[in-house]
Amino acid sequence: MISSTIGIWNYWIVFCLMMIGLFLVMGRKNFLKKIVGLTIFQTSVFLLYITFGKIKGGTPPILNESIDSIYSNPLPHVLILTAIVVGVATTALGLSLVLRINTEYGSIEEDDISAQDLVDYHDDIETGKSVDFKFKQ
Amino acid sequence: MISELLINAFLVTIMLSIAIALIKTRTVIFTVILTSAYSLVAALMFITLDAVDVAFTEASVGAGISTILFLAAMAYLPKKEEKSISSEFVPALSCIILGGILIWCSYDLPEIGQLTAPIHQHIAPEYIKGSKEDIGIPNIVTSVLASYRGYDTFGETIVVFTAGVAVLALLQKKDPAKKNKSKPKQKIRKNA
Repeated sequence: MISSTIGIWNYWIVFCLMMIGLFLVMGRKNFLKKIVGLTIFQTSVFLLYITFGKIKGGTPPILNESIDSIYSNPLPHVLILTAIVVGVATTALGLSLVLRINTEYGSIEEDDISAQDLVDYHDDIETGKSVDFKFKQ
Repeated sequence: MISELLINAFLVTIMLSIAIALIKTRTVIFTVILTSAYSLVAALMFITLDAVDVAFTEASVGAGISTILFLAAMAYLPKKEEKSISSEFVPALSCIILGGILIWCSYDLPEIGQLTAPIHQHIAPEYIKGSKEDIGIPNIVTSVLASYRGYDTFGETIVVFTAGVAVLALLQKKDPAKKNKSKPKQKIRKNA
C-alpha cells in the first residue's frame, strides 16, 4: 500500500505543480508572474517525462563494461535536454516583450494596460477621429 | 530501492512548497529567487531519477541563465506586484478541476521504475545497443542527441537563434521611443 502510494506520489505532485503554473499564468495579472508561471509549468512537464524514464535500480545511461546493470531510458532525457534550451529562449523572448510593454505603457499590470487602452479608444471617439480604417472612406 | 523513491517523494514535496510560496509572494525579487530555487531542486530530482545530463543542463541553464535574465529584466520593471481587481476564483476553480481529473487518471499510469512499463519496451533497448555499435560514444544521451537526432538539434539551434534575433529587434526599438515620447507616436500611427 505504502509503496504503491509512493509509486505514484511523484505523478500527483507533478500534476499539482502543473496546475500551480497554470494558475499563475491565468489568474495573476502581472506579466512577470505569468512568465514565472510558464517556467514552473515547463519544469514540471520535464519532471513528468524524466519520471517516466526511470527504472528501479537502474544506472544513468552511460555505457560501462564493468557494471552489469540496467540503464534508465535515455530517450526522454534527450527530448528534455532540447526542451530546456528552447524554454530559456522562450523566457528571454517573453521578458523582452514585457520590457517593451513597460516602456510603452509604464506598467506591467494587465488591468492598467487594458484601462489605458480603453481610455485611448474613448478619446479617439470623442474627438471624432475614426479608429477603424474600414469606415473612414 | 524504496529509499530512492522516498528521496524522490521528499524532493518533489519541497518543490510543491516552493511553488505554493510563489503563489503567496508579491515581491518580485522573492519571486525570482524562488524560481531559481525551484529549478535547482528540480536538478536534484533529475539526478535521483538517473538523468545526469538533464540535471546539469537544468542547473546551469534553468537555474543559472534564467535567473540572470529575470534579474536583468527586473532592474527595469516595478518591484512590487499589485493586487488585481478582478477575482481569481474562476482560474483557481478550473485549475483545481483539471488537476483533479489528471490525478484521477494517474491511477492508469504505470508505477515509477517498473521495467515492464510500455516506455521501456518499445525502441529504447535498440538505442542502447546501437549507441555502442553505430557511434561508439559511451554516453547514450550524447550519441542520440548529436547523431540519431542531429537534425532535431540543428532545428533547436535555429529556434534559439530566432529567439535571439527577436529579442534584439524588440529591445533596439526602445531607444527611438525614448527620444520622442511613446504616447504621441502611438496616436500618429493610429491616425495615419
